[in-house]
Amino acid sequence: MIRVKNISKKFENGGAEVWAVNNVSFGLESGIFCAIIGKSGSGKSTLLAMLGALDKPSQGTIDVDGKDVTLMSEAKLIDYRRNRIGFVFQNYNLVPNLSALENVMLPLEFAGINKNDRKSRAKKLLLQVGISEDKHNRKPLHLSGGEQQRVSIARALANSPKFILADEPTGNLDSNTGRTIVDLLKRLAKSENTTIIAVTHDQTIADQAEVVLQMKDGKLSMK
Amino acid sequence: MSTISRGMRNAFRNGLRTLSITVILAMSIAMALIMLMAMKTVEMKIESVKSSVGNTITVTPAGVRGFEGGGELLGSDDLATIQKTDNVSEVTAIVSERLNSDDTNLESPIEPGSFGERQNNRGYNGGGVPPESSSGDRKFTMPVTVTGIDNLENLSALNMSKLEITAGEKFLSGSEDKIALVGKDLAQKNNLNVGSIFSAFNQEIKVLGLFDAGNTFANAQLIMPILCVQEISGQKNMYNSFIVQVDSVENLDKVGDSISSALEDKADVVSSAQSTESIIKPLENIKSISVYSLIGSVVAGSVIILLTMVMIVRERRREIGVLKAIGSSNYGIVSQFISEALCLTLISSVAGIILGALLSNPVLKVLVNNASADGASGVPGATPGRGMMRMVNAIPGIQNTFRDISAVLDWSIVLYGLVVALLIAIIGSMLPAYFIAKVRPAEVMRSE
Ligand SMILES: Nc1ncnc2c1ncn2[C@@H]1O[C@H](COP(=O)(O)OP(=O)(O)OP(=O)(O)O)[C@@H](O)[C@H]1O
Ligand SMILES: [Mg+2]
Repeated sequence: MIRVKNISKKFENGGAEVWAVNNVSFGLESGIFCAIIGKSGSGKSTLLAMLGALDKPSQGTIDVDGKDVTLMSEAKLIDYRRNRIGFVFQNYNLVPNLSALENVMLPLEFAGINKNDRKSRAKKLLLQVGISEDKHNRKPLHLSGGEQQRVSIARALANSPKFILADEPTGNLDSNTGRTIVDLLKRLAKSENTTIIAVTHDQTIADQAEVVLQMKDGKLSMK
Repeated sequence: MSTISRGMRNAFRNGLRTLSITVILAMSIAMALIMLMAMKTVEMKIESVKSSVGNTITVTPAGVRGFEGGGELLGSDDLATIQKTDNVSEVTAIVSERLNSDDTNLESPIEPGSFGERQNNRGYNGGGVPPESSSGDRKFTMPVTVTGIDNLENLSALNMSKLEITAGEKFLSGSEDKIALVGKDLAQKNNLNVGSIFSAFNQEIKVLGLFDAGNTFANAQLIMPILCVQEISGQKNMYNSFIVQVDSVENLDKVGDSISSALEDKADVVSSAQSTESIIKPLENIKSISVYSLIGSVVAGSVIILLTMVMIVRERRREIGVLKAIGSSNYGIVSQFISEALCLTLISSVAGIILGALLSNPVLKVLVNNASADGASGVPGATPGRGMMRMVNAIPGIQNTFRDISAVLDWSIVLYGLVVALLIAIIGSMLPAYFIAKVRPAEVMRSE
């Protein structure tokens, strides 16, 4: 359960104020696959960053399972990012000198899980997203874009988060590969009861979503 | 994979960069280490010069240096005066004589050489009476030096750095017997052994022992009981010099002043502190050069690792953002970067320590040569007379001060080196740590 109430984000660009997100409110139940669409610069990434506690809103509240994220201490925020949220980025953002397996183990290490459990869980996750065992020890550079995105989804799933926040997860992929990635996310939403919030430019992806939110100049409208 | 091993792996992420940083850093660590060694070595040398010189005052008759000059010898009343002075713990009296071929059947093992011949032609042969050699019918020989002393343990009074009895035995303090310790070169030249008899001032002297003082000049000498020398040379109760032992260095000046005023202008009083100053000064110059260079190289090392880490952090901004976004604490990321910096400095310090060990001696030699050249020209009258040389030589060990300097490499210095490296790494990681903390995790959302 997430309830966003009247959040706004203001940036100052050389003296000029920009309201990247302007008085946005919405709510989502668990296990929903939600798409956020909108033109470039409409504030989609900014909204997602606030939902994932990567940035603080200038105004408003974000209520997750009865707790207000905007009021959390720095230590609580780290815990929130680690255990409640999984991020998937357009350019994958895997750590280049770590293998696929080690990338997936990273959030498990931050959560304080012991080495053996980390390894077996990471292996299971990689298999689950369709990365075969022979690719587990490859560096990101030696994986295709679609494979890298699968690894990053496995990494996002590592600590069984309530939410997966994906910023244009198919933006760098061809349409076929993009579709398989979206199918994967949808399937996970159901099997793990994870809420998926995905920013996308792709209308075919938006068509598969249960909820579609549209951003326009920092304002949100249901579709 | 833990934070630390991740940091260590990151240290090798860019091979070429790792290599170049390691080389530069190793050189600055080697430099720091060499300077540290130089500092320690010189410090030890200063200590040893100070302690070997000790707290002594040399009292000689006014206007007399060695065997030159005029003036009256000192007497036993002077000895008594000095002995009564406050803070004087011991006085060793010396009588020096030179035996010409007229006075003894001994031949000096030292070849006169051009220096000796010149001295001789100028009539510098002690007594002032022109020897027969000047008329050309006899070859000039070097006189044999005799030191009359009571206390054989006082090496500084003997003007020797060691006194090793190679045969026979030492004479006892207070002895009046006509006996002598013979330097090993002198003994060899004259076929003397323990129990042999030779003549001096028309007296028969028995060889009690042979000694090795470690240098040619001293090994051509005789050491005899002071009472015996005074008697046979007809100088009863007369002395050439007193070596005064003062109870502590702090009282050196005070005692020197009271002896000077008590003996008025009868005697020249030279304290060991005065004569060592000129030797210690260049050493202290080396020391301060090393201190500045040490500080300089530590600063240089810190700046190198600092700039490197700043560069690395800037380069990996996005990665830092990702680590934050997937749940790492600032602390975790900072420790990862510190372990990377530590790893770089550790490799560099191993290379630096090896480099430092190899280069320390050559570098120290260069330092010492420059400094001692400066030092020598800074000593007034060091070149002209033998008097000054004798005075300097009277302090055992000093002749060898510069020659004997070599770097001391011990494990404590290697340990220091590692501590220096650690310091460099920590200082070098501080600013980057601040940058790391400032990276906004939201930045990962921005495309490059
Ligand atoms: N850190 C920042 N400082 C200043 N302005 C910012 C910052 N981040 C975003 N903005 C501004 O906020 C607005 C919204 O940006 P945002 O990245 O959320 O757009 P977006 O919808 O994700 O666009 P795109 O589809 O191109 O990724 C833009 O006008 C952008 O210039
Ligand atoms: Mg965006």
